[in-house]
Amino acid sequence: MTKVRNSVGERSETSNDLGLRQAALLRLSTNIAAAGNEKEICEAVAQGLYDESLGYDFVAVLLVDEATGDRVLTASVGWQEAPPSLRMHPGKGLSELPLLDGELHYTPQVTQASRYLPTRNEGSEVDVPIQINKQLVGVLVVESNRPHAFAPDDLEILRAAANQAGIAIGSARLLSAERQRADEQEALLATLADLSAQLKLSTLLQAVLERAVALLKVSHGELAIYEAPKQELVVVASQKVGKKDTTGVRMKLGEGAMGQVAETREPLLIPNYEEWAGQSPQYTQVEFHAVMVAPLLMGGQLVGAIAVMDKDPNRQFGEDDLRLLNMFGPQAAVAIENARLFTAAQHQRQYFEELVQNSPVAIVTLDVNHDVVSCNPAFQNLYGYSEDEVTGRNLDDLITTEATRQEAVGYTRQALDRDTVKVISQRRRKDGSLVDVEVLGVPVIVDGEKLGLMALYHDITELLEARKEAEAANTAKSQFLANMSHELRTPLNAIIGYSEMLHEEIAETEQGDLADDLQKIRGAGQHLLSLINDILDLSKIEAGKMELLTEDFDVRATIDEVTTTVMPLVEKNSNQLDIRCEDNLGTMHSDPTKVRQMLLNLLSNASKFTDGGTITLEAIRRAGTNSGVDILLFKVSDSGIGMTTEQMKKLFEAFSQAEASTTRRYGGTGLGLAITRHFCRLMGGDVTVESRLGVGSTFTIELPATLESPEVSDTDTGSASN
Amino acid sequence: MPKILLVEDNEMNRDMLSRRLQRKGYEVAIAVDGLQGVEMGRSGDYDLILMDMSLPELDGWEATRQLRGVPEAEKIPIIALTAHAMAGDREKALEAGCDDYDTKPIELQRLLSKMEALLTSEA
Repeated sequence: MTKVRNSVGERSETSNDLGLRQAALLRLSTNIAAAGNEKEICEAVAQGLYDESLGYDFVAVLLVDEATGDRVLTASVGWQEAPPSLRMHPGKGLSELPLLDGELHYTPQVTQASRYLPTRNEGSEVDVPIQINKQLVGVLVVESNRPHAFAPDDLEILRAAANQAGIAIGSARLLSAERQRADEQEALLATLADLSAQLKLSTLLQAVLERAVALLKVSHGELAIYEAPKQELVVVASQKVGKKDTTGVRMKLGEGAMGQVAETREPLLIPNYEEWAGQSPQYTQVEFHAVMVAPLLMGGQLVGAIAVMDKDPNRQFGEDDLRLLNMFGPQAAVAIENARLFTAAQHQRQYFEELVQNSPVAIVTLDVNHDVVSCNPAFQNLYGYSEDEVTGRNLDDLITTEATRQEAVGYTRQALDRDTVKVISQRRRKDGSLVDVEVLGVPVIVDGEKLGLMALYHDITELLEARKEAEAANTAKSQFLANMSHELRTPLNAIIGYSEMLHEEIAETEQGDLADDLQKIRGAGQHLLSLINDILDLSKIEAGKMELLTEDFDVRATIDEVTTTVMPLVEKNSNQLDIRCEDNLGTMHSDPTKVRQMLLNLLSNASKFTDGGTITLEAIRRAGTNSGVDILLFKVSDSGIGMTTEQMKKLFEAFSQAEASTTRRYGGTGLGLAITRHFCRLMGGDVTVESRLGVGSTFTIELPATLESPEVSDTDTGSASN
Repeated sequence: MPKILLVEDNEMNRDMLSRRLQRKGYEVAIAVDGLQGVEMGRSGDYDLILMDMSLPELDGWEATRQLRGVPEAEKIPIIALTAHAMAGDREKALEAGCDDYDTKPIELQRLLSKMEALLTSEA
């Protein structure tokens, strides 16, 4: 760009020249004013001063790079070959002088100056500081090929030009900063808008990345999410990074630039990626140079990483760029976290919706006004209403009958009152038919606010039918047992009766041998009869048909009657019977047949299990503790074989004698004690046992002397444990 | 020798009870159903009637009611006998006009004491 021109000294100082110089300065001012940015301003200054009327051979504007302190050649005109973006490091060149002291430096003979870079033989040079509000931001360099070429007038002109340049650059920078801020604001607002729009995560992150790329004015960008369980980064948004879309690429912790950032959680600036040792094998054939990566952190937790790259070899990332990139960090992190929470919440919601939708139980939700909010398919199937037909309507209007309406409304209120309702009832279908349902009502309370209730209806038609069938089967069983017992008893009665008759006749004719045999037939018949009677009793108890026939009776007389009956049994095993009755036994109002049966049972058991010992029957009347009704205690003790604790546990269960072998040895059905306990409880009392193996047992029957409001009478079955 | 009318449809029970009562010194007449029981009972020839309740033709309760309407028989003591007592059987029997009640199978001593009680109070 060398030009041959008149040097400063050659020009003649005419008034015309003066006019031309002023015109040149005016043009300079106009051009500066028209310039849009720093570079244009610098060019306008250089062009303006390189004017024939001024006669300078070289004009350049150098601006200081704040980061490095380098002077960067921003505009130049004249003979000297000046590569664009030439950088001059601190400590070199005349042009640094104004930056050191803020003064204009005039060097009349450059070859004599120590700082002069030997680019030519001789000449003079003026270096003027360019300041913005006293801050040194650059240098205006003007040279002449001749030594001592600059007059004081020239210095003034150059000072004025530098001054103008400073003001203009200051304004441009302000404007640019303003614009930058505006851009940042806009990008932030746009990102926030995206966040609130609840876009799909990938769309959202792509938008965030695009904004970062645009704001940083870079060619490439990439954003990855950190998957903590796998300790991997996965690329979810990509801007022209590879030849193929890199979305979906996974990187381990520490792998490549992103992996390294994920590991250290510190930003990373790589001036030249091609020369960088840490490359990931997945990112080798790339078309970018400078790389900047920032971690995405949320509450100290790593959620991902964002990277920008540029293909321009001259582009270097600095503090400002990092600040901008970091600006997107929280946005992206929030977006990722939001999306995660949203997805989790949606998943949770879908999960519960699926449960409700696929539930075989009819589910309906109501608001606080008892109106239907929603119902599931099972509800629609059960009642025949579509969801549209019930939504917004009062549930109890739809599915109750006149008979059940009041009750249903009551349950609805109860469930709304934060109380759980569980009932079995009947509801009406759309077609008017009735269905048996189990109803479950629970309040729906969210964050302490009562929103309504949820009702569940379980169709129990089949269940009820099954129950009816079971009950019918049970009744049939009881009936069968009753009938069979009766049928068995009729011939048995004949066997017993005739053998008794024969026995009496034979006793009279003194045919002793036959009498013994007949006695055995009769005994076996009696045993069989008592078995049948016990079974009949138990079946009645099980069917809930064992009823009480109450009357007043004398306790002592009953005891005497029982002891008479049991005496032969007592004597059979050479036992003694000891009766201890207090005088105040008085009368009982209860079922005398059952009292007799129980006492007989205990006494005959005691006789069976005792050999050559003593059996004691003790009867006590004492004042009741709670009700004021007297209590009667009947204690039957023996000095027999006794029982272990294990044996006592099962004692009162049906068909359980202490041991199976016991039955073979001592006979009996194993039903007597079960029946006794049932009877006792029916009559408001209980039976208990104490026993020691080899020492004996004591059974205690405790009954209220007066049985209040008994079941309406039933006479007994004719069973008699005789 | 007290005269007893036994109204019983079951042949074996009838045979057994009548023979045992005879052996105890009673004179026993037999009716095999309710109708015959009423027919025989209305004569007033008996000191006591043992009436089975489940009888063919005319059941024991109805037979008792009819006998109670006959002046000759209205004062004859009647003991109801039934094989399997149903709820309210005893009340029903007493309402129909029976004086006492006993369950089958017959326990002879028990029945005899009930009979003696009624015969003695009659006497």
